[in-house]
Formats: sequence, structure tokens, C-alpha cells
Amino acid sequence: MNQKMKETILNPILKGNPITVLVLGICSSLAVTVEMKGALVMALSVTLVTGLSSLICSLLRKTIPNRVRIIIQLVVVALMVILVDQLLKSFEGTYPIDKQLSVYIGLIITNCIVMGRIEAFALGNKPIPSLLDGLANGVGYGLILVIVAFFRELLGSGTLFGIPVLAKLGYVNNGLMILPPMALILIGCIIWVQRSIQKDLQEK
Amino acid sequence: MNTNSNTYTVIYTTLICVLVAAILAIVSQVLKPKQDANEKAETISQILTAAGFDDKAHWQEIGNAATIDFYKTNLAEAYTVNAQGAQVQNLDKDKAEILSVSELKVQNRNIKNGEDFEIPVYTFNNGTSVIPIYGAGLWGPVWGYISFDAGLDNIQGAYFDHESETPGLGGKIKDDPAFRAQFKGKTVDFADVKAFQIVKGGAPADKRNAIDAITGATMTSKGLDEAINNWLGAFKTYLQGRIEARAAEVAALAAAAEAEAAAENANQTAE
Repeated sequence: MNQKMKETILNPILKGNPITVLVLGICSSLAVTVEMKGALVMALSVTLVTGLSSLICSLLRKTIPNRVRIIIQLVVVALMVILVDQLLKSFEGTYPIDKQLSVYIGLIITNCIVMGRIEAFALGNKPIPSLLDGLANGVGYGLILVIVAFFRELLGSGTLFGIPVLAKLGYVNNGLMILPPMALILIGCIIWVQRSIQKDLQEK
Repeated sequence: MNTNSNTYTVIYTTLICVLVAAILAIVSQVLKPKQDANEKAETISQILTAAGFDDKAHWQEIGNAATIDFYKTNLAEAYTVNAQGAQVQNLDKDKAEILSVSELKVQNRNIKNGEDFEIPVYTFNNGTSVIPIYGAGLWGPVWGYISFDAGLDNIQGAYFDHESETPGLGGKIKDDPAFRAQFKGKTVDFADVKAFQIVKGGAPADKRNAIDAITGATMTSKGLDEAINNWLGAFKTYLQGRIEARAAEVAALAAAAEAEAAAENANQTAE
């Protein structure tokens, strides 16, 4: 694996994280991070969708008419999202999670990360790097989702993956953690931590 | 090749759209039976939760097949009733036949338009009866199930679901066990202005057919109140019929016991 490949994969996870640096996909990261389970499924779904849509759009990149490229991208992304949604609905294990995530699976279509990566990367690069870029961005998004969900579920419900953890210690659940504003505060904290470690992200 | 010409653009877009539509149509057809099976098991688990057999999480844990089995073993009978309170159609117990949410939607339209309707009642071996409700919340439909004990004068439990109410506010009709727990021990009073009330600002403690609304979810609470009352209205003749039949049964039993006691007294006197 050469240097460029490595950067394609690592950049979206750390230095160019879609949530903490580009501040994209905030809406869904506030909505689906109440529980680890939901956040994990959402993270996987987004990773699949960004990866595969980037791959397909990259394969088609030389044939797509420039004037309608956004519409073609949208059709490809919508196809992927509906496929993921249909699959989640079909399995006994994932059906309740799909029900819980409800509209947010469908709203992956409008997640700026997906279209943003296609427009910025996939249309100008070969299929394999595009696939990796898409997947890596999904992972970068998912990572933040899981971190936020970890704190929200642990401190809000006293559980992790639905298993009681803090309840035995006499912890009283913090209702604020369950509500969306707390997710925003947590994401703010993550951005703060990241910026104090990676000094080059700070504006002069 | 000029990818920017009008002809190319039109042909290209059309082809992509047709292709994508075809893929989605095929996938949807292939996965439909599985999705329907999941939805059915979900509805049955909601009915069982409302009937008070166990928590919602329990059914999820034991899986679809076990849930449906439990339903079949414990169901006495399921049938649909019309506005006159008469049984119209039996729902096949062995197939665990139920009315799906989309079928409830159709019946809800019939009820609202004053047309003929057929709404289901699920009765269980332990005497519990479960009826569905359906209506409009704030952002989308809300529906659910309310269960009565054998005498039909006490509500035993309830379970509600919704399509897109706000999580943490209107979503509480489903997610907050405390809201649902309020139903237990309440009753339905057809003599009142409203048979059942969800009261904003708190229900009077002595009112047996009212519960507290959800703070911050006025419209969802109102919608649920309306849904419950619309459907209770539709079930009114049926429920009253059963309450009367039950009262007659109890009276007959009491009379029989009295006659027996009297006969015994007479015997003792004769001796």
C-alpha cells in the first residue's frame, strides 16, 4: 500500500473527519446516538452507502453527463440507501433496529457526507481509491457516532448495548443525556479534544 | 463521444432511472414475504404486550416464531365486529391471523366516514380482551392496543406505536413505560362526555376514565385521545353488549346460588 492510499484511508478518520472537522452529518449524529446498538447499525449503513455509491459513481464517472451529474449521483445514493433499508427490514435481528432508526435510514440520502465525497473525490479518481475513500469516511462518521452513543447510553440509561452497567452502582440516570442537545455538547467536546491534540486544525 | 449533448443526457438519465427502478422492484418483490412476516410478529408482540403477558423487550428476545407460538397457545378466539356489535368474521387462530396496521388504517377511514367497518377483537384464555386503536398523531399515524380484563370494566394494559412522532416528546407514547402504566386499572365510561380522556395538565385523581397527557407533546396526546375515543365509539355497541351479557351471567349465577341457599334453608326448617 503506497503513501497516497494510506492517506486516503486515514485522513477521513482523523484529520479530515466528516463530523468533527468538516461538520457534516450532524443531524443524524444527534438523532441516532441514544443507544450503542442503533448508532452501530447506523454507522455500518452509512459506511456501506458511502463506499458503494462512491465506487459506482467512480465507475460511471466518464459517462455521466456533466449537467445532470448531481441527479445521477442522487439516484445512485438513493438506490443504495433503499437497498440497505430493505435489507434491514428483512432480517429478524435487524428489524427492531430499523424500526427504531425509522426515518434516519432513509435520510442517509440527504447526508452531506455521501454526496460530498462523490462530488469531491469519486468523480475524479479511480474506482478502488474511491471505494476506500467512501468507506473511510463512513468509518470516520461511525467512529464519532459510537463515541457519542457510548457516553449517552452509559450516562443516560446506565446501560451499554442494553446491558445494565451503572445501575448496580447506584447511579441515577441523567435524563439530559437522552435528549438531542446533549449529543451536540458531546460532539463539541470531541471537537475540542481533537483540536487541542491536532494543533494544525486551529485557525490562526 | 460528446457526453454533454442533449440527446445523450436524456438517453443516459432515462436508462439509469429504468435500471434503478427495475433493481428496486425486484429486490422489493423478493424481500416482501420476509418483511411482512417481521411486521406480523411485531404486531402480535404489541398485542401480547398490551394484554400484559410480558414486556415488549421479552418478545424481541424470544424471537418471531416463539412469539407467534405463544400467541396461538394463549388465544381463545379472534374475530372482527361491526358497528352493530355483531361478530362478522373469525380470524384463523392456527394461522395467527391478525389485522395489520395498514388494514387498521383502512378501517379507521371507514369509521371516520361513517361507513361499514370490521374491527378486530382478540380474546385470550385468561379472559383478557384486546382491541386496537388507530389515529393521527402530530407527524404521522399513531396506533396501539388496549386490553380489558374479563369483566371489561378495567383496563389491563396498553401499548402504542407511531410512525414519526418526535423522539423524547410524542415518542413517549411508545417509549415511556410510565405513560403506558397509567392505563392499568382505569376504566371506560360511555356515559361521560368522552369515554376516555387524556388530560393536559394532569387528570383528576378520582376520575377513573382519565390519564395525564405528555408534557411537551400536546398534539400527540390529543391525537391519541381522539384515536382512542373514535375507536371506543366504534366498539361501543360490542363492548356494552358484552358488559351486559357478563352482568346477566353474574346475576344468573347469584340467583342460582341464592335459590340453592333458600332451598337449603327450607330443608333445614322442614327438619
